[in-house]
Amino acid sequence: MKSVQFNVTSRLDGDVAVIYPKGYLNNLSGESLVIECGIYIGKGITKIVVNFSETDLINSIGISMLLQIIEDLRNIKGTICCTNMSKFLRDTFEMLGLIKHMHVFPVESDALKYLKAGKA
Amino acid sequence: MPLNTIPAENFLNREYEFKYLKDLAELKGNALGGNVFLEGARGMGKTELLKQLYRFLYWEDGVVPFYYSFKTANLKGTYFARDYFTGFVRQYLSFAKKEPAIADNAAEPLQRLMPVISSLGLHWLIDCIEDFQEHLRKNDFYWQIVAAISVPVVAAQKSGKPVIIMLDDFDAAERLYESSLGDAHGLISLFGESMRNRLCPHVITGSTGALEAIFTDHSLIGMTEQMRLGPLPEDLAAALFRAHLAHLKVACAPGAQLKFLDILRGNPLYIRNLAKAAWKMQKKEFTEKDLIECYAFEVTEGETAFYWSSVFNRYVPNASKRKAMLKLLMHSIENGGMENGAQLVMVSGLGEAETAAILEAMEVSGIIRENDSVFQDFIRCLYLKEIKGREARDVREKIELKYVSAGEESRFELVIPMSSNAELVVAKAVEQIGRNIHLDPDFLNYLQLALIEVCINAIEHSGSYEKKVFLKFITRPDKLEIIIENSGRPFSLDSRTEVPVEEKLRMGMKRGWGFKLVYAIMDSVKIERINDRTRVILIKNITDKEVLQ
Ligand SMILES: Nc1ncnc2c1ncn2[C@@H]1O[C@H](COP(=O)(O)OP(=O)(O)O)[C@@H](O)[C@H]1O
Ligand SMILES: [Mg+2]
Repeated sequence: MKSVQFNVTSRLDGDVAVIYPKGYLNNLSGESLVIECGIYIGKGITKIVVNFSETDLINSIGISMLLQIIEDLRNIKGTICCTNMSKFLRDTFEMLGLIKHMHVFPVESDALKYLKAGKA
Repeated sequence: MPLNTIPAENFLNREYEFKYLKDLAELKGNALGGNVFLEGARGMGKTELLKQLYRFLYWEDGVVPFYYSFKTANLKGTYFARDYFTGFVRQYLSFAKKEPAIADNAAEPLQRLMPVISSLGLHWLIDCIEDFQEHLRKNDFYWQIVAAISVPVVAAQKSGKPVIIMLDDFDAAERLYESSLGDAHGLISLFGESMRNRLCPHVITGSTGALEAIFTDHSLIGMTEQMRLGPLPEDLAAALFRAHLAHLKVACAPGAQLKFLDILRGNPLYIRNLAKAAWKMQKKEFTEKDLIECYAFEVTEGETAFYWSSVFNRYVPNASKRKAMLKLLMHSIENGGMENGAQLVMVSGLGEAETAAILEAMEVSGIIRENDSVFQDFIRCLYLKEIKGREARDVREKIELKYVSAGEESRFELVIPMSSNAELVVAKAVEQIGRNIHLDPDFLNYLQLALIEVCINAIEHSGSYEKKVFLKFITRPDKLEIIIENSGRPFSLDSRTEVPVEEKLRMGMKRGWGFKLVYAIMDSVKIERINDRTRVILIKNITDKEVLQ
C-alpha cells in the first residue's frame, strides 16, 4: 500500500488538518484520502481543508470518496473546505451537486483564515 | 475478342505475373507446376492479364493460347459445349493462320472453315468436328461436353504444341446445367482430365476463395497453384488515373494531388471508371473536389454502380430477394460482419430457408467477401435509394458530404488491457490528440474525464475474458468521435439512472456517477450492442469555444 500512501500528504495547522491529494484521484487514492481524514477525525479534528493544487486527473469513483468525508464530518458537525481547484474540477463538482456540501476557496490561506475566524 | 485489349505499355505492375504465366507451358512440360488459379477482387485485372498473355502468345509460335469466358457464357450444357468447342476451333485456326478475323467471326459456321483446316493439313481436327457433330445428332449430352472440353487436349497431343487454356471466371462453371438450373452438379469436374494433361497448362480465374468452393475434388486443388493479383501501388494508381484523363482529354488542375484516389485501393477497374466519369461530367480543370464529386456519381449512378448491380442481378435474379440481400449487406457494413443467424433472418425480412439461400448466393458470388470502401459506398447508395426511397441526387450529395470534410480527418487506434490505471494511458493519448488539433486544455480535461469513465466502466463491469478495450479516435475539423468497444456483459442501465447527492449521502451509495458525467460532457453518447460486444460512441462537436485561440 506504499504507493497509495504516496498519493496523499497532510499537515496540521492549529486545529485544522490540511490534506493534499496528488495526481490521479481514483478509487485507490480516494480511499487513502478517506483514511487520512479518518485519522484526523479520530484525533478530534473537525475542520478539514482539501487542497487540490496537485490533483490533475480525476474519476467519478475518486470524487465519490469525497462524499464519504463529507458524511463523516457531518456526523461530528465538522466543516470541509476545498481549495485550489481548477475550473474544471469545480465545474465537475458543481455538475454532480457536491459544491453545496462544501466550502470552496480559491487558495488554502483563505480557507485557513475562514476556519480560524471561528465562523464555521 | 481476346486480342482486343489495352496496349502493353499501359498495362501496369504485372511484370512478374506476366512472365510467370508466359513460361507456364515449359513448367508444366517439366512437371514443375502448370495450373494456376489466378485470384483477385473484381476489377483487379484478372481478365486483362489473360488478354495480355493471349496477345503475346498469339503473335509468337511456341504455345497455342485459348481463352474462354464463363462470365458471359450460356450455362446450359449443350450451348456451352457447342460454344466452347467452336470457340476453340476458331481460335486455333486463327492462331495457326495469324488471322484474327477467324476467331472474331462467331457467326460463321464451322463448315465454312473446312477449306482452311484442310489446307493446314489438320486431319485430326476434322475427325474431332465429325465426332462432335455425331454427339449432337445423337443428342448425347454428356459426350458433347466431354468432347468440347477435351478438344484442346487432342490438339496439343496431335500437334505436339502445348495449348494454354485460360478459363476466365471459372467459378461460374459450377452452375453448368442440363435442362434446368442446378440439375447437374459436378459437371465442372469434367475439366479434371484436361487439367491433368502435361501439354495443357490452365490458367483459371475466380474471386478470392472461390477455388475451394468449386473443386470438391481435392486432387485438382493439389495440382493448382494460387496466384493473387493485388492492388496497384499508390503511385502507379495515380499514374494510371492521370493517363486515362489525358487520354480522355481532361486536364488536371496544376498541383492537384488527387489524394482521394486512395479510396479506390489501386483497383484498375474503379480507376478507369472514375476517369470516365470525369469525362462524362465534362470536367475541365480537374481538382480534388471534382474527384469526390465524380466518385459520388460513380457509386450512385455511374459505371461502377452499374457494374455491381449487374453482379447482383446475375447471382440473385429475383428482385425481392435482391432487396433482402441489400438489407443483409447494409447490416453487415454497419456491424462489421454477419454472424448472428437469428438476427439475419430478422434483417432480411424473409424466412430462414430463404435467408440461407441468399447467404449461399452471396457466398458463391464472393460478394460476402467484398469489403472495399467503393463497394460499401455502392451498397449505402443502393440501400438509400431502394429501401429508403431516396432520390439519386440526395444520395450523391450525402456521399460527397461524407468525404469533403473527411479529407481533413485523422484516425488513431488504441488497445488497452483491462488493468488498473490503463485508463490513464487513454487520458494521455486523448490529451495529445486534442493538442494536435489545438483543442483548449480546459476542454481536454473534460474529454479525459469522459473517457476515463467509459473505460473504467468497461474494465469494472464487463466481465470480459478478452480483457481488452479497443478505442478509435476520429478527428475532423468539426467534430471528434471516439469509439470504445469491449466484449462482455451488456451495459447495465442502472449506471445511468440519476441519484441525487442527498440520497447518496443518506444511503451511503457512492457510485453510479460516471455516465452522468459522460452525458454532460459529450454532445452525443450512443451505446450499441453487437453480439457479445458493447460499443460506446462519443461525439463532441468542435465549435470555436473548444479551440485554442
Ligand atoms: N495492370 C493494369 N494496368 C492498367 N489497366 C488495367 C490493369 N489491369 C486491369 N486494367 C483495366 O482495368 C479494368 C478491369 O480489369 P479486368 O481485367 O476486367 O478485371 P477482373 O477481370 O479482375 O475483374 C479493365 O478496363 C482493364 O483494362
Ligand atoms: Mg474478369
